[in-house]
Amino acid sequence: MFEDTIIAVSTPLGFGGLGVVRLSGKKSLSIAKIIFKAKNNKNRFLPRKTILGNLYDFKNNEIFEEAYLTFFPAPKSYTTEDVIELSCHGSPVILEEIVRQGIKNGARHARPGEFTLRAFLGGRIDILQAEAINDLIHASSLKQAKISYHQIEGALSRKIIKLRSQIVQILSQTEASIEFPDEGFKISKNTIANTIEKTEQTIDKLVKSYDLGKTLAEGVTLAITGRSNVGKSTLFNTLLEQERAIVTPHPGTTRDYLRESLKIKDSIFNLVDMAGLDNSSHPAEKEGINRGKKIAASADGILLVLDSSQKASPEDYRLIRKYRNQKIILLHNKCDLPSKMDIKKTIKLGSGMPHLEISALKRTNIEKLKEQIHSLFVRNDIKGNEIILHLRQKLLLEDIQAALLEALRVLKEGFPEEIIVEEIRKIQPLIGQMTGEIGADEILDNIFSRFCIGK
Amino acid sequence: MNTTNDYDVIVVGAGHAGCEAACAVSAMGLSTCLITINLETIAQMSCNPAIGGLAKGHLVREIDALGGIMGILADETGIQFRLLNRSRGGAVQAPRAQSDKALYRTYMKKHLEKTQNLALFQGIVTEVITKNNKACGINTLEGYKLNAGAIIMTPGTFLNGLIHIGTHNYSAGRANEPASRKLGEHLKKMGLRIFRLKTGTPMRLHRETIDWDQFKAQPGDKNPVPFSFRTKKKLKNKVDCYLGYTNSETHKIINNNLDKSPLYSGIITGIGPRYCPSIEVKVVQFPHHKRHQFFLEPEGLDTAEIYINGIATSLPLITQKDILASIPGLDQAEILRPAYAIEYDAVVPTQLYPTLETREIENLYLAGQINGTSGYEEAAAQGLMAGINAALKIKGEKPFILRRDEAYIAVLIDDLITKGVEEPYRLFTSRAEYRLQLRIDNADKRLIKYGNQFGLIRPAEYEDYQIKQEKLNKAKHFLQTEKITPEGKETITLKAHLKKPHVSYRDVTRDKQPDVNLSKEEIRHIESEIKYEGYLKKQAKEIARIAKLDKVKIPEDMDYKKVSGLTAEVVERLENQRPGNLGEAKKISGITPAALINLHIYIKIRQKNRKRSKGTC
Repeated sequence: MFEDTIIAVSTPLGFGGLGVVRLSGKKSLSIAKIIFKAKNNKNRFLPRKTILGNLYDFKNNEIFEEAYLTFFPAPKSYTTEDVIELSCHGSPVILEEIVRQGIKNGARHARPGEFTLRAFLGGRIDILQAEAINDLIHASSLKQAKISYHQIEGALSRKIIKLRSQIVQILSQTEASIEFPDEGFKISKNTIANTIEKTEQTIDKLVKSYDLGKTLAEGVTLAITGRSNVGKSTLFNTLLEQERAIVTPHPGTTRDYLRESLKIKDSIFNLVDMAGLDNSSHPAEKEGINRGKKIAASADGILLVLDSSQKASPEDYRLIRKYRNQKIILLHNKCDLPSKMDIKKTIKLGSGMPHLEISALKRTNIEKLKEQIHSLFVRNDIKGNEIILHLRQKLLLEDIQAALLEALRVLKEGFPEEIIVEEIRKIQPLIGQMTGEIGADEILDNIFSRFCIGK
Repeated sequence: MNTTNDYDVIVVGAGHAGCEAACAVSAMGLSTCLITINLETIAQMSCNPAIGGLAKGHLVREIDALGGIMGILADETGIQFRLLNRSRGGAVQAPRAQSDKALYRTYMKKHLEKTQNLALFQGIVTEVITKNNKACGINTLEGYKLNAGAIIMTPGTFLNGLIHIGTHNYSAGRANEPASRKLGEHLKKMGLRIFRLKTGTPMRLHRETIDWDQFKAQPGDKNPVPFSFRTKKKLKNKVDCYLGYTNSETHKIINNNLDKSPLYSGIITGIGPRYCPSIEVKVVQFPHHKRHQFFLEPEGLDTAEIYINGIATSLPLITQKDILASIPGLDQAEILRPAYAIEYDAVVPTQLYPTLETREIENLYLAGQINGTSGYEEAAAQGLMAGINAALKIKGEKPFILRRDEAYIAVLIDDLITKGVEEPYRLFTSRAEYRLQLRIDNADKRLIKYGNQFGLIRPAEYEDYQIKQEKLNKAKHFLQTEKITPEGKETITLKAHLKKPHVSYRDVTRDKQPDVNLSKEEIRHIESEIKYEGYLKKQAKEIARIAKLDKVKIPEDMDYKKVSGLTAEVVERLENQRPGNLGEAKKISGITPAALINLHIYIKIRQKNRKRSKGTC
């Protein structure tokens, strides 16, 4: 269906000394022959042989750059189409000029992820690998880039393939007991139950790793919350080291919320500054407060700011109680001023939540706060190959898990084997969406290789 | 019907496929000729003396509901009956019977002889005569030529059959019966793609030379369940089968003689069935098994021959004797017929339409082992379908194609023509997507209407069926309205109570009974319908969803190479099969959901473009 040829710079712009421009599609070769002339004057591009030449502005008859060209003929290329890779100096200006020349001669600029899409549609990579590559392109942190890399290597694919073979095993045990009642082997319901339980545990582990996967893929959302005028926006600006939020001595200056990315070490946090959570009569401010409450409720972490230069108000206590079950750091701001607050009492009420005395204005303890944010909201105890990165995958796995638990339930209630199979069969299309579908022949193959069927 | 032809339909081969085909065609009012190499071996059971089993018993029930003959004959000639999987639900229960082979042959021959419109004829067919790529007759070795409107080929293992015993081999269709060599060559010349399969059969032993005390008797059921809805008489068990085991000594003998097995010395190239391996394959592939079981099954009442189920082999006769000598109880056993392996030609079944007509040659139908299947029941089912469809075509009527949710017969044929086969194909219940629906207890409900429509079911039989349905409906209504209060539990309908595991119809009707008296068969039906109800309803929805895919037609001039995202392999398969719609495409092996989506998108875009270009013209 892809009649058109696409072109794009395939190395990140503005990085490194080397840049690569990639062309994919039917016209790749003919376009390359117009814009590239080999130094040996033989414009024969042998498959997978790198040749040196000049890039050429055909219209103006000018050589504008020296480059290496490699031709990957279909289907043995990344996209399974004809692919040309031009590598040259990494200057964005030059790279963009090559793309411009390509487009002039009949290519179209590739949309984000389009090479990967073609690779996927061409059957070159499976959907898990495609999604992992997509994450690599959009990786918001180094850690995620590493995980994406492992996924491309097939770590997640391997997990899913293992899960798939466990399901094949459940089915073949159950089917063998149904199909061959006279064969002299007995597969007890207990054996089947054990296999189901083991499989369910595999999935449970994968599903649980999702939260971390989400954190790494999307960054951690951190909501700065607290009453009006306790210095939330000042803290926001201080953490970002820029004047993003407007700060005034007047309460209620921030009426809506602001969101910025904050990088601490190799992780990305989405920092949200929001309106103070006090009762307000101003409609715009009210709206801002409501939005703020929603963000705080769904945030991955909360920085609850108190003004220690003031006596604690009932509203402060209410906020502590409200958020104490979430991942939270309690901040006593304005520690540069004399304290009027019963800090110990607020800490006690927070029942063990991490806390820190800071001054956003004077940058007191800000580095310490960053440390704390990083250690509290980024977990380091998960191995890269255990992570699921997409909600789609998680939902599929949860559906599979539910089907397994249902199968286990009917089995334990004493329903016969063919009913158990019906429950497990619900998994087949779900597995099919992640990796190959399980067909009847595969179950039978498995039975014949594992059980001696003789009649 | 046709005045210029000798017959409307010629059926070549009188095995289980050929007999069903010939009976169906003649019952549908067409003149039919059934040609066989030997009239004495009509409906011969070449291997085990049994009919039915899981999925196979299901097939026989379906054949019966469509008006086929296998069920009635199996009941008539059965000498031991069992219903398998009694401890499980109705969907995976199936009847199996030991047959008296000679009786089965005789009964079938008698049946054919008295069938109207049917001519039996002994001859060896060498050629299918074609005109403009349409089959229109046959030539025989004896020099006869017969014309017909359609030809149904059911040659079994006779197409270029080659029998192996040890390293020795000879041309034969069955032990000591001539193979059909010319016909095999001829089919190739006609442009049909042929491949080679292998199967085997164990030795037959003399009953009086077996020490029966060494084996455990396997009796039949107390209450035999018949195959046929039409069988009214009570069936009786007349024999027992016996269970025995090989031992480490047996395995040693086999291992020491593998060089004499044509399977392991590379003489046999055909692919054998993995679900029915020879004893040497079992020993080699499962070395950790200390013993393998076998059954001793009588071949009939009037013969001393005993079939040893589980010890098929192609090892030489001397090794076969050594194997027996190693097994206590068989150490003195006399071999009446040695075990052998047989290789034969089959036609790649993806060359067939769902009617079993070949795509290459119009009016030529194939059924049975020639299509790569194994089993009497699989053959009979195809024979019946080929017969019905050949007759319908000659009458100018719409073809008869069953859906996978309607019958195992459809699962069988659909698997054959869309996936092809790699080893002799046997039906298993796990091949059916809608297993809970395809049961022996509702085969009549699913299919008898077709048998009735084609005139294969007698009006009186159809009436019986309708009376039965009324009875069942009454009973169902009773279960739905009457209530029960199980001890210490809430009051619920009898139906809700029956849905629970381990609760039977007998349990729920202990105190109150409906005013209809149900047979055991009918009770099984009610139990299945109620116990599976939730699943059946869900599946009905799924079936409706898939039916939509069937409605998306794939254009005849489709160029699959233009569809992006299809691998070369997928394109090749689609080009070979040329599915008529997306539903058919979905069933082709190797067609992934992603490929299907791409195909769907392409068809939609194409349709849009067509419309647009038409609009602007």
